[in-house]
Amino acid sequence: MAENVVIEINNLAKYFPITSGLFFKKKVAEVKAVDGVSFAIHRGETLGLVGESGCGKTTVGKCVLQLYRATSGEVIFEGKNLCDLNENQLRPLRRKLQVVFQDPYDSLNPRFTAADIIGEPLQINSDIRGSDFDRRIAELLDIVGLAPYMADRYPHEFSGGQRQRLGVARALALQPEFIVCDEPLSALDVSIQAQIINLLDDLQDKFGIAYLFISHDLSVVRHMSDRVGVMYLGKMMELSERDEIYKSPLHPYTQALLSAVPIPDPAVEEKRKVIVLKGEVPSPINPPSGCVFHPRCPKAFDDCSKLIPQLKDAGSGHEVACLLYKTSWP
Amino acid sequence: MSTLLDVRNLVTRFHTQDGVVKAVNGASFTVAKGETIAIVGESGCGKSVTSLSILRLIAQPQGKIVSGEALLDGTDLLKLSTEEMRKIRGARISMIFQEPMSSLNPVLTIGRQMTEQLELHRHMGQQEALAEAINLLKLVGIPQAERRVKDYPHHFSGGMRQRVMIAMAISCKPQLVIADEPTTAVDVTIQSQLLELIRGITDEMGMSLILITHNLGVVARYARRVYVMYAGTVVEHGPALSVYHHPLHPYTSGLLASVPRLDEPRKGRLAPIEGQPPDMMCPPVGCPFQPRCAYALPKCLTDRPELQEMAPGHFTACWVAFSGETLWQKT
Repeated sequence: MAENVVIEINNLAKYFPITSGLFFKKKVAEVKAVDGVSFAIHRGETLGLVGESGCGKTTVGKCVLQLYRATSGEVIFEGKNLCDLNENQLRPLRRKLQVVFQDPYDSLNPRFTAADIIGEPLQINSDIRGSDFDRRIAELLDIVGLAPYMADRYPHEFSGGQRQRLGVARALALQPEFIVCDEPLSALDVSIQAQIINLLDDLQDKFGIAYLFISHDLSVVRHMSDRVGVMYLGKMMELSERDEIYKSPLHPYTQALLSAVPIPDPAVEEKRKVIVLKGEVPSPINPPSGCVFHPRCPKAFDDCSKLIPQLKDAGSGHEVACLLYKTSWP
Repeated sequence: MSTLLDVRNLVTRFHTQDGVVKAVNGASFTVAKGETIAIVGESGCGKSVTSLSILRLIAQPQGKIVSGEALLDGTDLLKLSTEEMRKIRGARISMIFQEPMSSLNPVLTIGRQMTEQLELHRHMGQQEALAEAINLLKLVGIPQAERRVKDYPHHFSGGMRQRVMIAMAISCKPQLVIADEPTTAVDVTIQSQLLELIRGITDEMGMSLILITHNLGVVARYARRVYVMYAGTVVEHGPALSVYHHPLHPYTSGLLASVPRLDEPRKGRLAPIEGQPPDMMCPPVGCPFQPRCAYALPKCLTDRPELQEMAPGHFTACWVAFSGETLWQKT
């Protein structure tokens, strides 16, 4: 498996400083947006990253792409640690790492035509020009299910779903090995979401692209992912094979998340017991001691507020960070 | 159960620079006393405009309720004067909006915003109203309510703001609460907290609830009866169990098939509904769903189907279903 790894993240951390003062900015505190997250993604694989807003899942995506420079940790791609490279050294690698953003309304330049949007990566990172260029644009539009005659249209002339297809086409333009999909569906309607899910699925089968699929929707993540990581307050709480994590979630947070997702079937819902978590996600400026989840955890005991659980294999590759499991004890 | 609200053939239009948007085209539904119904549909299907029309909160002058009736205990809300309508809003029908940040006034304290309607509708004095506001905040689970009434909306988190909205909505013990996408702006764990809270309070106080949402799971969990809206009309309605297990309209079954379910084995591919919702400036002739429908008959292109009862309490508006075909049903 090891040689199949596309990208490897080790102990990634990103702290945002909180400063005060107008001229002499003093650092008064830190937001620990991501704190010691590790995972690897294999060729043609999808790793789903779920969690509630503010858990750091988007920050992980941006750190992986070096859109944020990590505070510490490693992002290893093609044998190089991206965190050690400068912008010039990164540029040739960036073409292989692409992104599809959440909001297809904000992430496309309104003054660019579809061809400009998809063509920009080609202009910058390739020497395809002239009629080859036009052919490539038409080909990309076709791959994502848009008609080539739409190349001269502006973003506002497309519907939400079509715009997201444009975003996907732009990410595909340079034939990347890895795409970060950051909530690519949350701005779309249910009936359109399924179209984009199928598109992303097909592209993966066809081109063997690896995805980091970031979402708060657990049903969609199950459909898309091979492996799933659950984040809470900047930490990875659980990481495992998809079926394993959905069938037998180990972490109380994962269990609560899964039970909070209503199932579209009244007969099933009637029999289901919902674990309602008390309270809200605490501030990442001042996270709880010990296990960050302990103030909301229905199964917390004394040691949870003192000891920091480690993300460790609790059997058959199912990693969990919770003191209920012996392996997590520091 | 006696009927509390009876909406008949509601038509609402918006006059814009580009043309007339036919947002709601003859929507009808009923809510019984103490009942929870859900209106489900995608963005632009007219579900929010329907609820705003009932409360006569449509933006003037571009928005206009063209025709229809909304009978609350027999009184047509659409015919009331502005003054009379003001006595209904908040007191007999109240609303929980989607975005708690933009629906609370940022420059007034929570306490002031809550006491306003208590003084107006329940004729309370200042002190009495403040005490009641604190009680309501406690009821919806806001800790340290005595202190928090003096806070401004930006001091509250998204979930807490929505709790304040809920407290305001129930403060005058209305007969009907309309919750318009109450949990779209919050996380799943907060979503279950809020919905459990809304359900608990409306059950306890015997209020009727209209839950407007695009989330099919939320409908299944909380509503007994469901209305499916598409392109400004109700295309199917009935008992939730019947609608989910035996959808009679291809749009309903398409929606159900396009969401992955946690309790079922993972499917290889989803079955999306092809195409896009229609442009409501020029909705399709005949059945509004016809351009996206895989089963459309020649008749669907020309004649608009009306709702018909196909099973006890289960109505649909679909020519194909009328002809006895239900190819899209799971067995």
